[in-house]
Amino acid sequence: MPARTLLAVVLAATALAAGTPALAKPAAASGPLEITSSMMIESRSAAADGTTRVSLVKPTRVAPGDRIIFVLAYHNVGTQPLSNVVLANPLPRAIAYRGVSPGSPAPEVSVDGQTYGALASLRVRALDGSTRAASPDDVTHVRWRIASPLAAGSQGQFAFQAVLK
Amino acid sequence: MSATGVRRAMLAGTAAFASFVSTGAAQAQTGSGTTAGTEIKNTATATYTVSGVNQSKTSNEAKFVVDRKVNLTLTPDPANTQVSVGQTGAVLRFKLTNSTNGTQDFILSMVQAISLLGDNFDATNVKIYADARGGGSAGTGIGDGVYDSATDKLEFVNELGADESVMIYIVADIPADQAAALANITLTAQVAAGGDPSTAAAGPALTASLTNDDAVVDVVFADSDGIRDGRTSATLGYAIANRDVALTVAKSSLVMSDPVNGAVLPRALPGAVVRYCMIVSNATALVAANAINVTDTIPDNTTYVPGSITVGAIPLLGACILGTPMNDSGAAVALSPFTGSYTEATKVVKATIPTLVGPGAVAVTFQVKIN
Repeated sequence: MPARTLLAVVLAATALAAGTPALAKPAAASGPLEITSSMMIESRSAAADGTTRVSLVKPTRVAPGDRIIFVLAYHNVGTQPLSNVVLANPLPRAIAYRGVSPGSPAPEVSVDGQTYGALASLRVRALDGSTRAASPDDVTHVRWRIASPLAAGSQGQFAFQAVLK
Repeated sequence: MSATGVRRAMLAGTAAFASFVSTGAAQAQTGSGTTAGTEIKNTATATYTVSGVNQSKTSNEAKFVVDRKVNLTLTPDPANTQVSVGQTGAVLRFKLTNSTNGTQDFILSMVQAISLLGDNFDATNVKIYADARGGGSAGTGIGDGVYDSATDKLEFVNELGADESVMIYIVADIPADQAAALANITLTAQVAAGGDPSTAAAGPALTASLTNDDAVVDVVFADSDGIRDGRTSATLGYAIANRDVALTVAKSSLVMSDPVNGAVLPRALPGAVVRYCMIVSNATALVAANAINVTDTIPDNTTYVPGSITVGAIPLLGACILGTPMNDSGAAVALSPFTGSYTEATKVVKATIPTLVGPGAVAVTFQVKIN
């Protein structure tokens, strides 16, 4: 497609999206970035060689106190590189954050949905005005920012651990 | 907001104070946790820039249903109940706590323990009742932790909420058996299905789910007593504290004087004065016999000596000593707990001893003159 025509299409899309906050609503039904959310639980089974194999399975039996693994998978199915990719996951009310899942980059967390950072740097203000250091139970949102542009066709996933209250 | 401005805001993310977050927003799990049947849904969002244009995307909605995690505790509240032989309506108290993450019924049953730690009799007419609960006006007997036969009539627990507790009463009669010492009873509570407010019967007992379906509320047994069956037990006993005492009366007589010899070696001649002594003994240690009435009819051919009744304690050697003089009318005597009386019409001497703790004895004396 000629570059000029492509630019017209892109500008039209911008006009549509200009009035909407960047993080809230989906811009279109599809797009070059596909993200998939899944919640998994660990399943331990004895392997043939005597070790315990841990695998992630669907949460068919989950009770309060069980550990849940949240997995965000992303895939650039378009032909252009995507920059400034930010993946955000607001935590459901009954879920308490516990930490990053082994093998995944650590997310930035937030206790109010606006300010993100490392958990150790966040503070929580009580209704009486006093503040205290934030604990994992205070986390309400997590997000990952991919620093370099995501090439066309590339994919990956992030994961964090949580507990069902 | 321009695209550039949005990009700068997204990349900022430096540490700062979060303002005015309620500290109750994201508590760790307390009590039984998220209610069974709650649907947990998760959606992630992404924002990115392609060819200078900001776009966003929402993920699928992942979800699952929270299962029912069954747990309960039953504790004696607080200990064995002290009872008397022959007592009716004696009560044992237990506290049942529903630690399941949902409202449940509880099925109650009991067995009388077999010869456990001194258990040597069975209580009779045993019933189990749950303390009546419920809102509305503060009626007497509702949720008060005290057994009231007028209000606490339900024989199972109906619709007990998550992390709530209720008192359970075992009510029974004690047989009239002087040899009885202790009767243990084991109460068992079984978690049953809730959701039906009807008080006709408890819901069916819960059984572990066989299938695994993330859209159905499974039943998972997580008993803190270690046995995963949604059932737990506790034992209390009726301990006999009051039984009959070994009370005996020993009667003796002594000629005090006669008209011929006076008080020196008197004989039982007409006109002689004879003193009768009745020693009341309680041989059961540490148990008091109460409201003891001692009666005696004066012998034929004798005349009661007025004002001769005395009641008082005696030393352990069994000797009869004079106690405090009593009034023939039965009126109280100053500084004495005892009373005595003589009724001419029936010729009966009567003494009342309010209480006598074992081991102990009290002597009752009176005098007659031989006609």
